[in-house]
Parts: sequence; structure tokens; C-alpha cells
Amino acid sequence: MNESKLSKDEIKKIALSGVGFVVLLYVYFSFFLGPLNRSREATERTIADLQAKVASSKGELAKASNLERQASDATSRFAALKALSPEGAPIAWFPPRMKVFFGNQQIERANARLENSTPYKEPELSSWVRYSWLIDLPQSEFATVGHAVAELENSEPLLSIAKLTIKAVADDPQFQQVSLTANTTIFKR
Amino acid sequence: MALQLNLLHEEIAEQRQRQRDPLKLGMLALVGVGTLMVLFYMWKGYQTLEVKSRLAAVQHDWAKVEPTVTAAQKRSAELNGIINTTKVLDTMIEGRFYWGPFLQKLSRCVAPNAQLTALDGSMNDETKLVTVSAEGVAAGREPRAAAEELRQLLTEQLSQSYGNVSVEFKVLEDLDTIVNVAGANMAMARYTLAVSFNPVKGDPAKAGATPAPARAAKR
Repeated sequence: MNESKLSKDEIKKIALSGVGFVVLLYVYFSFFLGPLNRSREATERTIADLQAKVASSKGELAKASNLERQASDATSRFAALKALSPEGAPIAWFPPRMKVFFGNQQIERANARLENSTPYKEPELSSWVRYSWLIDLPQSEFATVGHAVAELENSEPLLSIAKLTIKAVADDPQFQQVSLTANTTIFKR
Repeated sequence: MALQLNLLHEEIAEQRQRQRDPLKLGMLALVGVGTLMVLFYMWKGYQTLEVKSRLAAVQHDWAKVEPTVTAAQKRSAELNGIINTTKVLDTMIEGRFYWGPFLQKLSRCVAPNAQLTALDGSMNDETKLVTVSAEGVAAGREPRAAAEELRQLLTEQLSQSYGNVSVEFKVLEDLDTIVNVAGANMAMARYTLAVSFNPVKGDPAKAGATPAPARAAKR
């Protein structure tokens, strides 16, 4: 009967073994199995992400080619509107262009000067600037001006006349003095 | 009953003591569990390596596709930008007020005895309302009636194309001057018309495409 009882020394040894077992489990799970599992899980997540990206990429490519087809009209229209803004500072090319235009409309004297320029607030027009011009036609005839204005509005889609003043010339009632305030939308170069 | 004497009692007890040493048994158990753990760890490590190799394959696939996809995404963004910009520009273009047709209508309304001397028109960007001030002189036996005729004709003509048309006299006064029209002396009146209207009625943008060369005001 005495043999089945544990001695003090044996109890100490059992406790020591228990502690060793707990330490072993802690080290195993904290420093070996835990990091390994975490690494595997992270890798699996990365794989899932990449697979989703690869799968969606097919859709993206199809969408892009579809959009390319749909946007052909808009692209050509955009290119045409952009082409209305030549290279260089607008102050360098717009007044001569107006002089030539009104010259072709039988209005010999035409002066255009820049009033101001302001960027657009709309995010879609971040690459475009609004220029305000004052165009003076000191000697012109009403009917000719009417034709010229209509032609100007038709040929310059990005130009809008905000203000129009026509006054009779005192010395020569046949002619009028015309002043236009025109706003143009010009692409930033 | 025979008497049995165990002369090796002490040695046997010592041997038994050694065999059931808890530390030794514990160490054996630890070694056993440790071995199982190592095997399990190796199995998990193998699985991890397998997953890593799968990742390498997927990364390789993605590396092949990525430049094309990035370019497609960039192009899509660019095209969307172009579409949106074109829409905004088209809205601006369609929202313009065309002065050509207005001048045409005005010239058709002005009779030889109600001439205009000055015209000042502007369009308010925010309200989209066009306001015009027209100054002129009318001559006739009843110069005020000639000016009123112009006002009515202008109202009628503008109402055909524009909305909320208002043509009112700001000034209408007789002048002392007498003019000779077609050999007859006639009284004169000076007038100022305040015209306002909303260009949106029907499709004014397209109507502005071609001015009529018909009749111009004689100044």
C-alpha cells in the first residue's frame, strides 16, 4: 500500500514535467504553428485577391473594348473641338483669326482684345479655359453684321456672344459701330 | 505453508522506483508528444509550401495580364473623361443663344418710318434671360403709333421663337424736329424699347443655323 503513494520528490518531478509540457505547447503554437498558419492564410488571401483580379481583368478588357466602340463618336467630336484651339497662346491667334474671319465677311476693320480668362469650375473642363474677348467692328452695315454674326456662331461652336452693341455712326448713318463680347472655350495647350 | 524470504527486497524496490520515476516518464511523454508535433508541423509546412507555389503561379498569370489590364483601365478612364467632357461641351454649345436669328427678326420688324439708332443686348449666363434695349426714332403723322406698331410686331415675331417675351417702352416722347419723308413733312418721336425673353422655346439652337438675307433695317 505504501508503494502506490507518491513521494514528495515524485510530486515535484510530475509538476516539473507538467510545466515542461505547458512550455512545449506554448512554444510550439506561438513560435512554430501559429506563424506558419498565419503565413498560409495570408498567402491564400493573396491568391484569392489575385484570382479575383485575373477574373475581373477579362471583364475590364471587354468593357474597355466595348467602351472604345461606343466612344468613337465622342472621341472624334472631342478631337474636332480640341482642334479648334491651335497651339500657342490664344491672345496670339484669336485676334488675327477674327480679323481674317470678319475680313472674309466684308467687314474690313475688326479688332479683338482679351478682356479676361477664367478656368472652369466643372471637373470635366479642367483642361479648358474660358476667354472673354471684346470684338470691335467700328464700321459695318447691319445686314452684313447679321450675316457675319450668324456665320461666326455657326463656324465657332465654342464661342458664344454674351453682349452685343450696335450704334449708328453719327457722321455716316449707313454704317454702324458694333461691339461684341464673346466668350470662347479654349483647350489648354 | 512454506515460508518465503525475499532477500533482494531492497534491490527490487529500488528497481521499481527507477522504473516509475515520474521525471523519466514525463520526459518520455514529452518526447512522444514533441515528435507528433514535429510531424504535424512538417505536414502543415508542406501545405504552406504548396500554397506558396500556387501563389507563384497565380502571380505569374497576373504579371502576364496586368499591363494589358492597367492599360485598358487607363484607356477606359480616358474615354470616360472624353465622353463626359464632350457632353459638357455639347451642353454648352446647345445652350448658346444665337444672335443671328434675333437680328434677322429685328430687321424684319423695323419699318422705314421707325428706324433704330442703337441696340444693346446681353444674355445673362445664370438666368439664361436675354435683355435688349433698342433705341430709335419714328416718323409719321402719328409717330407714336408707328413706334407702337414696331413694338407689337416685335412682340409677335419674337414670340414665335422665344419664351416669356416682353417688349415694353422705356421711353416714348415726341420730338420737335420735323422730317421730310417721301416729300411729306412728318413729326418725329423718340423711343426706347426694353425687350426681354427666354431663348428656350422649341429649338433655338438649330434655328440659329442660317440667317435670312431677306430684309435689313435701313439706317
